[in-house]
Amino acid sequence: MKSVFRSQELNKAASGAGGILRRRFGSRLRESVASRGIVTLYLGVLAFFGLFFVLPIAIAVRGAFLDQSGALTLDYIREIFRNPIYLEGFINALKLGVGSTLLGFAIAAPLAWISERFEFPAKRSLSACLLLPMMLPPFVGAIGFRQIFGQEGAVNALLRTLGWLDQNQVIDWIGAGREWGIISLNALHLYPILYLNLVAALANVDPVLLEAAENLGCTGIRRTWRIVVPLIMPGIFAGGSIVFIWAFTELGVPLMFDYYRVTSVQIFNGLSDIDSNPLPYALVAVTLFGSALIYMIFRLLKGKSPPAMPGRGGHAGPVTVLAGVRGLLCSSFFLAICMLSLLPQLGVVLVSFSRDWYRTILPRSFTLQHYVFALGNHLTVPSIQNSLVYASLSTVLDILLGVIIAYLVIRTKIFGRSLLDALAMLPLAVPGLILAFGYLALTRRGSLLSFLDPVRNPLVLLVLAYTVRRIPYVVRSAAAGFEQASVTLEEAAQSVGASPFRALTRITLPLITANLFSGSVLAFAFAMLEVSDSLVLAQKQTDYPIAKAIYELSNILGEGRYLAAALGVWAMVFLGLTITAASRSIGAKLGTLFRI
Amino acid sequence: MIAIENLSKTFGDFLALERIGLTIATGELFFLLGPSGCGKTTLLRHIAGFYQPDEGQILFDGKNVTRLAPYLRNTGMVFQNYALWPHLTVEKNVAFGLEERKLPRPEIDRRVAEVLHVVRLEDLALRKIHEISGGQQQRVALARALVVRPACLLLDEPLSNLDSKLRLEMREEIRRICREFKLTSIYVTHDQQEALSIADRIAVLNAGKVLQVGTPAEVYRHPRNRFVAEFIGEGNFLTGHVVVARNQFLEVELGRRRLLVAAPENPGANAGSLVTLCLRPEAIEIAEIQPPGQSWRARLVQTTYLGQIAQHLFRCDEDLLKVAEFNPRPARFRSGERYFLSIAPDDITILVE
Repeated sequence: MKSVFRSQELNKAASGAGGILRRRFGSRLRESVASRGIVTLYLGVLAFFGLFFVLPIAIAVRGAFLDQSGALTLDYIREIFRNPIYLEGFINALKLGVGSTLLGFAIAAPLAWISERFEFPAKRSLSACLLLPMMLPPFVGAIGFRQIFGQEGAVNALLRTLGWLDQNQVIDWIGAGREWGIISLNALHLYPILYLNLVAALANVDPVLLEAAENLGCTGIRRTWRIVVPLIMPGIFAGGSIVFIWAFTELGVPLMFDYYRVTSVQIFNGLSDIDSNPLPYALVAVTLFGSALIYMIFRLLKGKSPPAMPGRGGHAGPVTVLAGVRGLLCSSFFLAICMLSLLPQLGVVLVSFSRDWYRTILPRSFTLQHYVFALGNHLTVPSIQNSLVYASLSTVLDILLGVIIAYLVIRTKIFGRSLLDALAMLPLAVPGLILAFGYLALTRRGSLLSFLDPVRNPLVLLVLAYTVRRIPYVVRSAAAGFEQASVTLEEAAQSVGASPFRALTRITLPLITANLFSGSVLAFAFAMLEVSDSLVLAQKQTDYPIAKAIYELSNILGEGRYLAAALGVWAMVFLGLTITAASRSIGAKLGTLFRI
Repeated sequence: MIAIENLSKTFGDFLALERIGLTIATGELFFLLGPSGCGKTTLLRHIAGFYQPDEGQILFDGKNVTRLAPYLRNTGMVFQNYALWPHLTVEKNVAFGLEERKLPRPEIDRRVAEVLHVVRLEDLALRKIHEISGGQQQRVALARALVVRPACLLLDEPLSNLDSKLRLEMREEIRRICREFKLTSIYVTHDQQEALSIADRIAVLNAGKVLQVGTPAEVYRHPRNRFVAEFIGEGNFLTGHVVVARNQFLEVELGRRRLLVAAPENPGANAGSLVTLCLRPEAIEIAEIQPPGQSWRARLVQTTYLGQIAQHLFRCDEDLLKVAEFNPRPARFRSGERYFLSIAPDDITILVE
């Protein structure tokens, strides 16, 4: 009896103490629950990047430095530079990178300059039109490009018709300078990135600085060289490094041009024996280091931070309105570039509708049968379904991760958030081919994630690859949204009783929908026609996404080329509609979607 | 009742709040007044829960809320820029806090209508935020904070974005509502007129410290130190030695003059000690013939006409004295002439240095 009483007393005392403890620490506990949530998200995101971005690349690179016994070696890397075939491939990759970047600048610079300085008829729609090529994968354009510039293609036919070429004479436009074909196609595809960066940089130059130079007697080209160019350097390097790395590691276009002496294609061809051959790993390492080196050089050249410019205030730039002939000249220049850059795609469209296109300027007769066949083909229909599934899933994942990362970076003071920010932007500088290679290495038989083997089902790996590759767009657009939506709006919600999570979902997220939408449309569109990851990771016909299906079809003799073109057109139309709808619904200028 | 005990906060090297101690009674309209950067908003954000102090605690009715998340404190805050949600209508903005409290829909509707009536916005319930004026936005912000029946209403410079006429109107409105609902309210401002006109009590802050707490009349008429005296209203500051100190009066020697000062709570000044006196410009009277009581002669140096008042500058030995004249008539006093200035002993304040 006594003991029962005592235990009751003890219980009472204990619960009393608990009450005090709860009172004293309850609030602290709630606060730490909130911050524990933040830390969990942070660690989760870091784990994601560690597992699906850093680790695959590290494994791919590691393979280049370990021999069969697991000892450190530099032999494989040395072999790349000793073997003339690999060395030539590397030099060619550099050539393609440098050439595409320079040609891209040659196209973009005058356009950006005109766009910044002058107002001319149809400027807005033409400027929007300039961005279209970026959305259309150049490797699809390669089908049209070959049709136009091939030995029996449209250009030779035109020259024959004009009498500049003998009936039996043939110029091998592509074969003679295959590099030039690839460089042109890359440059015509990538110049919008440079254009957007240049326009943004030029818009930031305070016109007062130009007036000051003019006031001191420095005008014209001299002023451009001494004042404008140094000020827009950051923009030039920002765009230049992305374009260089893109072209340096481009896989689709060289493949479509049957151009095999380039590192990217050599890696692609070496995929089949990555279990036994260390050389593909060495190629990956060399490409990655090359990219990183170039990126670093560009960063160094760019300088630590963009030079501080005085605010523009209310002083607008000197935009000259061009009327009459001069305005039309500008418009036609823009139009010409648009047409030129869309020429390969135009070729694709023509191929898709042509019954027979051989030694003539335009197809002899037109037909819709390729579209009909394409709809019944065992490759096309599943590939569209697959791409939709892969791209949708990866976009959902992108939005989820992108919002979390942007929230952590902008809204919290968590340790290492700037590292997270940098990590989330890094996929822009890492070639898709290398990431995909890393995924293959990561899921080899007997390795850590072998249960994700893409031969069995590439869904998880493809979705992850698309997600990682396109996450920078979503992070950047979400971060911009968080920066625009004042934090006091969330605080106001909290002050009337909403938890931080509720404040985020009820107030901030609805407010940044437009930002999220534009970022995710971009991510989705790129994922739909993602090339290198798709070519590497999709290995069974039933799993092919659109890009791989187009590649496979174009390799089939006879009808293949036409079916590939029809599928390509379908994809382009789909993409165009998506982007138009997106830009309509957010009411923003198309350009803001593509600023990199 | 809200008690703030020994609250300190640093941001990096910057000491934002230094051992703040305040008690705010239930139903009181309490002002935090000070120049920008003095820590008043920081203190308010501590009370709201957006900042955690390094030391000290905050008690709501005896309950320690120092570490409690903002949304669990049951405060209603009105932000300087209103922080209204642009994607919601007036009505939805106001209903938000009640929805978060998961009240039944009919009750939410009833209370929203009620509060919109109080702030006179019934007709604008369905408008979006960008479709109403600044003054109306201000009232939505107020309604949103009021509707949750907060234990404490926090106002962070709520009127600073309004034009001066609307400001006058809204501050009366705020006073009316606070009285009507018997709300405990803490109001941050740098505008001394706002504070003097509607506060029950004022805490004057500077450099993270509370300098003085009191009713508007106490703070204005008996500023404890020079900062408070200068920040609230204007003053003439004269330094001199105490010659005679006898019950509740001091005689202070200023150059060749002596001034009788009422000191009901003599702050420890004895004969011989150096003191600074504060004479408000409007407490000094100007006369052409010598008035009864203490007075001295001074030459008018300059007059600034401000409509409602005229600001005169007198020279008296070494000192320049500001004197305010109400309902000024042009050319009543002429520059260069000598006049008599007088002040009652209980209109002079002894400042603590």
